[in-house]
Amino acid sequence: MTNLKLDSNWQRILDKIRTWARVNSPWAIHFNSGSCNGCDIEILATLTPRYDVERFGIKLQGSPRHADVLICTGPVTLQARDRLIRIYEQMPEPKFVIAVGSCGLSGGVFHGCYNVVGSIDEVLPVNVYIPGCPPRPEAIIYGVVQLLNSLKSGVSKVGTVAELVEKQEA
Amino acid sequence: MNTTLLSILALLIFPGGLFLLGYGLAYEYVDRKLVARFQNRVGPRWFQPLADVVKLLAKEEIVPHGVQRGLFIFLPVAALAAALTAALYVPMAGQVPSYSFNGDLIVTIYLLSLLTICMGLAGANTIDRFSVVGATRVLTQLFSYEAPFLLALLSPAIMAKSWQISEINIYTHNNLWFVLTQPIGFLVALVGLMGKLELPPFDAPEAETEIVSGALTEYSGRGLALFRLGKDVELVIGLTLVAAFYLGGIANPLEFVLKTLALLVVVAGLQSLFARLRIDQTVGLWWRLGAILGLAQILFVIFWRLVLR
Repeated sequence: MTNLKLDSNWQRILDKIRTWARVNSPWAIHFNSGSCNGCDIEILATLTPRYDVERFGIKLQGSPRHADVLICTGPVTLQARDRLIRIYEQMPEPKFVIAVGSCGLSGGVFHGCYNVVGSIDEVLPVNVYIPGCPPRPEAIIYGVVQLLNSLKSGVSKVGTVAELVEKQEA
Repeated sequence: MNTTLLSILALLIFPGGLFLLGYGLAYEYVDRKLVARFQNRVGPRWFQPLADVVKLLAKEEIVPHGVQRGLFIFLPVAALAAALTAALYVPMAGQVPSYSFNGDLIVTIYLLSLLTICMGLAGANTIDRFSVVGATRVLTQLFSYEAPFLLALLSPAIMAKSWQISEINIYTHNNLWFVLTQPIGFLVALVGLMGKLELPPFDAPEAETEIVSGALTEYSGRGLALFRLGKDVELVIGLTLVAAFYLGGIANPLEFVLKTLALLVVVAGLQSLFARLRIDQTVGLWWRLGAILGLAQILFVIFWRLVLR
């Protein structure tokens, strides 16, 4: 385990394979933290045979343990906040968050309500924002593609095996 | 020395290890693509199952609270190992089975059941309620399809007067296809295989609209990948068994590919035709219909052997 250096050739090839697999098989879980259901209907429309996201390997999973991407809709209400954090923490690393809809981005029309915490990025680290009220399925697919591109180019930081080993040893 | 080398080759490359894993992934792709086309979709790309498995292997493995840690890690390994071991006794790619003895049919069927039992145990091991519900459904389903499936595989064995898969394979190759003479047995065996693999309409154990993903809800990285691989391997072995028994045996690699693919097309069609059965409907179907049909078939075969011959 000691020769797992970040700059070794072997490590670089392994990381390339892992990135390839990750980009080609993003499994998603969908969570509504207080949305009006508009965005959720559009997300479900994205998953229908008409758009067929299985072409890109995108699959909706029921269990947070199986998912890579958390697709969040709506402002975070006080009640949903703890549940949202809990779902996020149940997901295995590496994990990404996509905020869908105006409310998820900023709180939208619910901004400043007595029972609303605010936007999703006040609670979780968000990777991609998809604006719209609600965004069309094309926009949602475009957002996922942006996430995958950022993974490919290395903008979204993903821990490598060597980094994980270093973290465990530290 | 030479025989040791051959045994290691049989375990790691063909028919045990790499070949079977690759073939299983390819068949998962064909299955998913066919179902997608039946649903008027485009379907996944050819490397999709491979990408899924590699991604799962590279993910963090979470061991949840309340589980027996050793069992949680050991069960997926045992499931995949059992499925891979079963490949040594079936005529994979039309070759003579690597290991063969009188009675290996029963051993193979038990090895194929081990995957299901491991999944049930894996679900019962966690304290998550969805896993536990999934585990009870997995085991309930196991008890319902196993007997008819075994009966359906026994009637060719009785006809061939042998409990050895390779001998049954040769016997079916030299006779009229059993799918013509024993259509009921073929139907029960094929649908039993679908129940074994928890394909729709028998996917109540992992019904994602009701119980998240059943017994495997708490598995995240490596464990989930190994269970998926085990299922793919079992799909190939099950199709090979049914093809060898009912579709006139498997004599060469070409026959192997054609016959198993033809069966896979039928299985994919049935998957997209039917909606999910409730678990009580599954049990009712198997015990009221499947077991009776299997029994009738086997009684007829015994009668035919004893009286008419």
